[in-house]
Amino acid sequence: MPVTSEPAELAQGLLLFIVAGILMVLVALLAGALIRRQLHHPVKAEAYECGEPAIGESWVQFDLRLYVVALVFIIFDVEIALFYPWAVVYREAGLAGLWDMLFFFGVLVVGFVYLWRFGYLDWVRSTAGQEPPGGSVAAKREAA
Amino acid sequence: MPPKVPRPDPAAAFIERTLRDWRVIAALGAVLLIAPVPLVWLGWPWIRPLLESQFWFSLILGGLAVFIVIHLDAAFILAERKLSAFIQDRKGPNRVGFWGLLQPVADGIKFLLKEDYTPKQADKPVFILAPALAFVISLAGVAIIPWFDQITWPWTGPDGETYTVVGQMASLDIGLLYLLAFGAMSVYGVVLAGWASNNKYAFYGAMRATAQMLSYEIPLGLGLLAVLLVAGSVRLEGIVESQAASGVWNVFVHPLAFLLVLIAGFAETNRAPFDLAECEQELVAGYHTEYSSMKFALFFLAEYSHMVIGSALVTALFLGGWAPLPFTSWLADNHTWWAGLIKFSVFWGKILLLIGLYMVVRWTLPRFRFDQLMRLAWKGMIPLGMVIVVVQGIATGLGWRIDPAAPWTANLLAGGLMLGINILITLGVLWLMSRSRAPVTGRQDNLPDVIVPPAEARLAR
Repeated sequence: MPVTSEPAELAQGLLLFIVAGILMVLVALLAGALIRRQLHHPVKAEAYECGEPAIGESWVQFDLRLYVVALVFIIFDVEIALFYPWAVVYREAGLAGLWDMLFFFGVLVVGFVYLWRFGYLDWVRSTAGQEPPGGSVAAKREAA
Repeated sequence: MPPKVPRPDPAAAFIERTLRDWRVIAALGAVLLIAPVPLVWLGWPWIRPLLESQFWFSLILGGLAVFIVIHLDAAFILAERKLSAFIQDRKGPNRVGFWGLLQPVADGIKFLLKEDYTPKQADKPVFILAPALAFVISLAGVAIIPWFDQITWPWTGPDGETYTVVGQMASLDIGLLYLLAFGAMSVYGVVLAGWASNNKYAFYGAMRATAQMLSYEIPLGLGLLAVLLVAGSVRLEGIVESQAASGVWNVFVHPLAFLLVLIAGFAETNRAPFDLAECEQELVAGYHTEYSSMKFALFFLAEYSHMVIGSALVTALFLGGWAPLPFTSWLADNHTWWAGLIKFSVFWGKILLLIGLYMVVRWTLPRFRFDQLMRLAWKGMIPLGMVIVVVQGIATGLGWRIDPAAPWTANLLAGGLMLGINILITLGVLWLMSRSRAPVTGRQDNLPDVIVPPAEARLAR
């Protein structure tokens, strides 16, 4: 196979690719700016919220569940990234490779089961265990 | 007095009439198709040395691939509108040119001429950076797709040497990881756009897109891992060649991994039924609410390019890449220029088929709710992916794999065993699903009883 994977040549190619991409974007953005007409109006610069005046800005603190998703993602993605080299050499490693992988996998599965069991994988956290204000419907129904 | 109807501009009317004539469109298409032929013929003495050197050939090939991707993006927008019109029993775009065929051109001109506004509350540099980043990243995958294996040119050099070039821009040792990395980077375009707009809809859209793309990155990686275990290589061209040599494409022996990667691909590209990031009914346009003109077009192009690259990945890993026919190694060892052309076309044909599937799925299935979406990823696809990887690991350890050198009976046995495992896992999943109760989300306990009166009572009222 005459495939070259010489680092210098690859870097050259990738650099060319990135430069070409940036050029394409610049041309696309600037070509229009030269032709089009801009009619400025203060209303056009407002945030679009369906015609309502925007209250406050959107750079606010937001739901922590997204943070949990990001954390769990990092753990699992690193896991998968570590599996890739293992998968490549697996055939030479033989049975020892399988046991290693199963051990590593087992540790992660324990973490995954923990997340599942304690509800960190639920987007809408169940409130079944909590008593809603005024007592639950089921309790009322029983009382009636 | 009736209002004055403006008299139509005769020149505009003439242009419109001309362009809606099918013969004019056919002639235009023919000219565009034939135009490169005399150019290549005239420039042959200059083109030939370029074709002989791998570096310049890669550049030409990459340029061609990017050219095809961008023009296909424009064509897909029309195709998608036509398909959705067909599904919903409408006509779709049919004003610009014969059968609406010039609609992409009109769209392009409009994108250039529309006003490009940056809202005053936005973070300006990031606001401009986001679409550019999304676009560049979406095209980066083109560099490592193996469009065909190699071509040996029919002419020889002055000393009788032959020239062989490879149909891949960069043959990376970490091919798949590169694609995964750029796939994950596409989150940046979306999240930066949503954040920089400083608009609540855009922000919600970006947050949803982030959570969704991160979640579906994991089943995607697990599905790819199953293929890696079988192929024993992260080089895309190696995976394609092993499929082409035996003729058994991975989709036949690993249908579950294929489904996993395909569904994760739908979610990664933010397309229906996973287009939560830009669902019109809730978030106006999601993360690109504040974008107009060319910046919006860049997002649009990025989405469609992402689809093309994703389909190319699925094609290379599961559908045999450039291999023209399944269950035969036809053309696998043929390195003539016409075989290369056939392989290149076959690769694009498979991509087009997959994108057709994307479009049909988009216009057939309703959108997920966000908690359903996360549940599908974390409680459905990730455990399934783990099971597939472990089972595949054990199967590979036992030596069940397709080997072109082995006798066909052994391959049939190995393939049958792996397909059987997949069917068993599917049955197991279906059994588990039938046993699990309908999932409880939210404060279901506290909902008032909904009493639906019988039909007669409703009619009587």
